[in-house]
Amino acid sequence: MRKSITAFLVASLLVFVLCISPAAIAAEKVRIGALFPFSGPLALLGQESFNGATIAADMVNEKGGIWGKEIEWVKGDGVDPKKAMTECERLISVQGLKLIFGTYSSSRSYAASEVAERNKVIYWEQGAIADPITERGFKYLFRTCPRASQFGIMAVDFAMEVVAPKLGMDPMEMKVAIMFEDSLYGTTVGSSAAKHAMEVGMKVVGTDSYSLKIVDLNPVVMRFKAREADVIIATSYLTDGLLFWRQAREGDLNVKAFIGTGACHGMPEWAETFGDEANYIFNIDPAIGINPEVLSPKTREVLKEFQERFNKKFGHLPATHASLGFVGARVLFEEVLPRAGSLDPEAVREAALQVNIAKGGTIFGFGVKFAPPAHPAAGQNLLAHPALMQWQEQRMWVVYPVEFSLRDPLLPLPTWEERAKGITRFVK
Amino acid sequence: MLTIVLQLIINGLLLGGIYALISIGLTLIFGVLEIINFAHGEFLMLSMYASYWLFQLLGVDPYLSLLVVIPMFFLIGLVVQRIIIQPIIHAPPLNQIFVTVGLSLILQNAALFFWKADYRTVRTAYSTLCLKTSGLMISFPRLVAFVLALAIISILLIFLKRTYTGKAIRALAQERRAAMLMGINIYGTYRIAFGIGIACVGAAGAMLMPIYYAFPTVGALFVLIAFVVVVLGGYNSLVGALIGGLIIGIVEAFSGFFLSPHLKEAVYFVIFILILVFRPTGLFGRG
Repeated sequence: MRKSITAFLVASLLVFVLCISPAAIAAEKVRIGALFPFSGPLALLGQESFNGATIAADMVNEKGGIWGKEIEWVKGDGVDPKKAMTECERLISVQGLKLIFGTYSSSRSYAASEVAERNKVIYWEQGAIADPITERGFKYLFRTCPRASQFGIMAVDFAMEVVAPKLGMDPMEMKVAIMFEDSLYGTTVGSSAAKHAMEVGMKVVGTDSYSLKIVDLNPVVMRFKAREADVIIATSYLTDGLLFWRQAREGDLNVKAFIGTGACHGMPEWAETFGDEANYIFNIDPAIGINPEVLSPKTREVLKEFQERFNKKFGHLPATHASLGFVGARVLFEEVLPRAGSLDPEAVREAALQVNIAKGGTIFGFGVKFAPPAHPAAGQNLLAHPALMQWQEQRMWVVYPVEFSLRDPLLPLPTWEERAKGITRFVK
Repeated sequence: MLTIVLQLIINGLLLGGIYALISIGLTLIFGVLEIINFAHGEFLMLSMYASYWLFQLLGVDPYLSLLVVIPMFFLIGLVVQRIIIQPIIHAPPLNQIFVTVGLSLILQNAALFFWKADYRTVRTAYSTLCLKTSGLMISFPRLVAFVLALAIISILLIFLKRTYTGKAIRALAQERRAAMLMGINIYGTYRIAFGIGIACVGAAGAMLMPIYYAFPTVGALFVLIAFVVVVLGGYNSLVGALIGGLIIGIVEAFSGFFLSPHLKEAVYFVIFILILVFRPTGLFGRG
């Protein structure tokens, strides 16, 4: 009995110390929660997103920090949505944080932001794109990156405005086939593409969804082939996306344009797996490597500094996810917090709603303006949008919107027979 | 239309061959040891990694790696049976399930720990090679997997029919106690049966490598289908597992094309339930 009482006392003392000490440190540092999947299957890109954000913090800290105080990250590991919730809870109640920065994964962000909102703590989302995250009318949630539905809409617009005219086809006669994996990400992007295509009056010849667990995509290949699709719009994670392209080759499925919307079709694995067969595929993502003309002179310098610092710290150049983390953190540290004057959630909210960065003001080229609480997408950066890229010579180049682009889109997609003969459309 | 139907049959059969090969190992283990091996998918995953590393580190072609992978997984099977399965062979079914599910979790997370969640693939000259005849497309690696699966199953059947060990395995599957009374070394036979089961799934993994990707949870994708195949085939019939695999492959190809790829799981689980209701012993099972 005495033993358990002692244990209890020691434990409560520990909890007490843990609760008190952060508050004591908080006087000297600006403490911000970093909630990402740092372990588990999503750890790779979760860590990469956070790495980008740390560069933004380094840049501020070297100039003396915010309000003369250094920024300090307090990490929380959101392995899965449930863990993301408990970690968010811990950061808020045990660590006493007033601002959580995260999360990269939509399902984790959706769950954890719920906790933050309940506690009236700011949740700053830099990279999770599912639309529903900012459709709940939350007051303390802000998101700097574009939404999933914009990816689907852009794919359809590109098919209509660029692919059809380039091929000399009537956009209304063009047959569009849409495929997506059926988790939150794929469903949001795929259904927004299908909806938008029908609204503008294009011929949608198929919308096929499938479970990520699928081991054979031959049926989809055969369906699209039987319906003579001209354009495929695909939302795939890695395995299913790679599997489809392999089986498209085996099944000799030839279309005029293939537009991926993030994940698989924008990953280095795409080119690593297929080599030259990766070429001509389009992909939509927040773009890096856009035409520098779009960026303001200041942003161009920031971009250069970011790339140099990131390369020095992590040994490779930043890709999309690291850049998303950087942009999210930079808006927060450079625009919002100095204006807010403290980490008080009400003050941060007010300051965030006043942010108005014009086009060219972030390294993605888009501006920042958050939707007010009454807006259907409250907290969303309304100026954020992705860009469309094409794999040319195993590298991704921005080709759309035109003012962001450095190269022209190459159309149509060569048939498998042409590829086998080594016919390319590259302009040397 | 005719070409489409023929193409679907070809696709289905080729896919079914792979399912069959994964399922025969499961069937053998279930039929003889009366243990449901929930870690079966993880052995598939391990063999895919084995084949992957042989290719990456030593440049061994995935098909050639069969010569290494099959004996290696037979040995792994023997060891696992001796250390993990043997102590629970007479335990209540619930305990057996806990042990094999636990084993599967350990293997999955060990793979995640050692090899990360990355998707690994091998690039061979024939990975997307395709044979074309009169409008029909036959994927070369899938054809090879299909033919090899048939070959392995035939060899296994002959082994079970002709050799003493094979007969002992069959005897154990039919009647444990009678086999024991006839002087069969039951633990030795269990070990060999388990080893063969794991060797089969090892072979399946090596043959999957040119077609699919290795990652820590890949086993779960295939093993679910394997369970349906085993039930369809009748729990302890190897021929049943072969035909069950082919049927599921064809069902998948047709339902994916004519209904929706989204519904293919629903379709074969409906079949699964129908078999359990109307023919609980499976197509080839003994009552």
